[in-house]
Amino acid sequence: MTAVAALVQVLGGLALAPLLPGAIQSLKARLQGRRGPSPLQPYRELRRLWGKSLADPQPTTIVYRLAPCLVAAATALALLLLPIGGLAPDWSLGNDALVVVGLLALARFALAASSWDTGSGFALMGSSRDLTLAAFAEALLLLAIVLAALPAASTDLVAMTGAANGSAPWGEPAHWCAGAAFALVVLVETGRQPIDNPDTHLELTMIHEGPLLEYAGRDLALLEWSAAARHWIVLVLAAELFLPHWGGFGAQLACLAAGVAALCVALAVTETAQAKMRILRAPGLLMGGCLLALVGLATWLVGGSL
Amino acid sequence: MNASDLLVGAGAAALVAGTLLPLLRLPSVAALSLQGLGIGLVGAVGAAVLFGAAPLGAGFRDGLEPALGIDGLSGFFLATIALVALAALLYARDYLAGGAREGALVALGGLFLISLCGVVTARDPTLFLASWELMTLVPAAAILVRRSEAPVRHAVFVYLAVTHLGGAGVWICVLALAHYGALSDPGSLASQGAGVEALVMVAALIGFGTKAGLMPLHSWLPRAHPVAPSHVSALMSGVMIKVALYGLVRVLFEWAAPAPLWVGLAVLGVGLLSALGGVLYALVQHDLKRLLAFHSIENVGIVALGLGASILFASQGEDAWAAIAFAAALLHVLNHAVFKALLFLAAGSFERAIGSLDLDRIGGLLRRMPWTGGAFLVGSMAIAGVPPLNGFASEWLTLQALVHVALGPALGLGLAGAIATAGLAATAALALFCFVKAVGLVLLGPPRRPEVATAVEAPPGMRSAAVLLAGCCVALGAVPGLLVPSLMGLAPQPGEIATEPSLVVPGTGSLPSPWLLLGIAVLTAALWRLRGARRAAPVPAWTCGQRVEPGLAWTSAGFTKPLRLVLEGVLRPRREVETVREGGVVRSVAYRGEVPHLFDTALYAPAQRRALAAARVARRIQSGSVRAYAAYLLGLLLLVLVLVRVGVIG
Repeated sequence: MTAVAALVQVLGGLALAPLLPGAIQSLKARLQGRRGPSPLQPYRELRRLWGKSLADPQPTTIVYRLAPCLVAAATALALLLLPIGGLAPDWSLGNDALVVVGLLALARFALAASSWDTGSGFALMGSSRDLTLAAFAEALLLLAIVLAALPAASTDLVAMTGAANGSAPWGEPAHWCAGAAFALVVLVETGRQPIDNPDTHLELTMIHEGPLLEYAGRDLALLEWSAAARHWIVLVLAAELFLPHWGGFGAQLACLAAGVAALCVALAVTETAQAKMRILRAPGLLMGGCLLALVGLATWLVGGSL
Repeated sequence: MNASDLLVGAGAAALVAGTLLPLLRLPSVAALSLQGLGIGLVGAVGAAVLFGAAPLGAGFRDGLEPALGIDGLSGFFLATIALVALAALLYARDYLAGGAREGALVALGGLFLISLCGVVTARDPTLFLASWELMTLVPAAAILVRRSEAPVRHAVFVYLAVTHLGGAGVWICVLALAHYGALSDPGSLASQGAGVEALVMVAALIGFGTKAGLMPLHSWLPRAHPVAPSHVSALMSGVMIKVALYGLVRVLFEWAAPAPLWVGLAVLGVGLLSALGGVLYALVQHDLKRLLAFHSIENVGIVALGLGASILFASQGEDAWAAIAFAAALLHVLNHAVFKALLFLAAGSFERAIGSLDLDRIGGLLRRMPWTGGAFLVGSMAIAGVPPLNGFASEWLTLQALVHVALGPALGLGLAGAIATAGLAATAALALFCFVKAVGLVLLGPPRRPEVATAVEAPPGMRSAAVLLAGCCVALGAVPGLLVPSLMGLAPQPGEIATEPSLVVPGTGSLPSPWLLLGIAVLTAALWRLRGARRAAPVPAWTCGQRVEPGLAWTSAGFTKPLRLVLEGVLRPRREVETVREGGVVRSVAYRGEVPHLFDTALYAPAQRRALAAARVARRIQSGSVRAYAAYLLGLLLLVLVLVRVGVIG
């Protein structure tokens, strides 16, 4: 069973990840009354980009050229830390939630550094906004992790998933607060409305797309894949930690698939229903999430001492 | 006398000889080598004691006769001092060569090292306080020897004034502890009642906190560190403020242990304020060395978060986690010493190469100075706390400690832990923001001043010191687990984790740092091969069809603008835009913006005004006339007689 989990971890992360943004885009188009691209469009994009030649904007350094590889490597390692259906094969990388956060931070550092290297204003605008939001999002993410770690008293993702198994956590207000807080993290990390608009063609409003503007060919393919893999990481984490799942590995695997699918639908609906919010208002939203998480923690701690 | 005694003796002798050598006008290379040999020997013995060799010398005593000794905690700090000092001395060889007052700076550097070692090896109050004062005064002299412009003199004055006002706390704390016999017999303070304990704790927090640069007592730090010669900055930021933390650790975890709960909360609060405040003000700096100085405040705050968590765990009886949090704080002490020294040394090389550290006017140094620039990049990633470097290992362990404070079970402590967790997470993200900015403005992009185009790589000594420390950043990041069990052994509580390269801590998913390093390296290399660099076409930057013009280059202020706008209520930035119009046509636009340091404007400036006003009042009775003073004396005598008669005194 661990072998199956390993297979889903690697193949799912590598091969299924581009399906997530594709499916969201396709569904969103349907909801908006357009025909829209096929869910497989990201694969076609990746194939097209993989065949194209690279561009080295002048004057750039090794930092610019290495960034896509480093981003993709850090994201790929983060994939290997995620439990699948409550199981995680032993890659001897551990399963710590905070290490996942660290690896995503490494990817963010590399990409932001690359945007300084070209000196392109649009790339820097995107990075500067991304990093501003990250300060608030990371605080919120850590609080959500604290809440999710409460039942297991551990930040080991396997133990956390195990403790969220069954119906017991749903009686805890802390679990609901954590889910709501993590939903905001999902919006930030996947770059979805109301935080960011993945469909924008205006460079002035881009956050995650901005630093990618100068890249071409396989570099761009690696970065596009990493963005898709980030969808996979946060959606799998959300489904494993905060959505209902029961029973053994098979049942949990089915729950995971259903959960990720449901989250994709939820994202498409949110994107359709919600306009992008003013960028400077987003930190307020995230701080609200932090407060909610603290309230959730307080309910748990009060419950424990009574 | 055993081998370690001999080695320490030889090391100390070499250090003293190396300090005295410049007075004989011998070449400074010999003096620096002797100092390096000496501090290296002392540090090696310190490391041996840390890893289980028998403690050397005397134990702590309350009397006045001087005594020296090395136990595990002293050994750890000696090893940290030695590591940074070896790099700084190697750097100083080329940095000072042929400059003004070379001999004096070499001698003062040696004296600084002696005073640092003195504080951590002193075993009695006199030697401790004497070394402490020397440690404060020597860097001031080292700054003034090289530069004596008015702003520098003012910075040194503020440094001495603030550290001495705060330093009174150290005297009160240490002398009170000696008075109650708590230095030799920890625990004897507990029988003196809560009042004495509170006095000692508050005095220690103020005294050592000032010197460590904890907010709100940090005012001297961003002034003094940037004006010092770079190898002295590296020692001040890397080691001196850590030696202040050594004092705090001794008081809180040994002499006055167990520290009560409120001290834990106070340390946690001050740590959070320093971490967040330090990084926020670092973000709005325009000078590289000032930026680094504010980051020292941030990192001291992170260490304080670990220490505070340890006290909280101990008060709840969770001994294992108390030891882990303690080890996390010490690990961050070492890690910060390494990467902050690296960054200050590299900054000195940049300044030497291009003549300025104005962040908005550097750019593109990585191409001109690949070794120093590469080391600076590694140090920046380490301080930004990204895996697999050493900054991540200690921040991970500190975060884990705070997360486990948050997990309860007590309501108040749990919420405090959760807020500290969120604060540290935000700090880490902001530090990443700040160092992406520093790396981008200094190393990457097109050159922003003509000097960059002709800059040359630093001489071998300066270059290799930075590269050596960068290697330490990678190594300490790869195998933190070899060090942490020994550091946990220094905690007052028992606690054990397995000694292996990875950090395997119960209650976490573990940090397999060597495998992370290997994984990132192998995957990146594999993708690099897949990418096929040979087919890359050199093109001009596209920028959506615009040209990249130097006048439109992004500045430090521009990059942090979203954050400044979001935090307007906290940072209170000021900006002035002057537009000159002629006949409806805009002729020129002048922009000026600054973020005032609110601690200076809202805390220190009013305090200074009040103090000066009080001095003016007091001056009225200072007439200078002998008769008036005689009258004052007579009045005082009468007052005392009346008080004795009434029975208030005597």
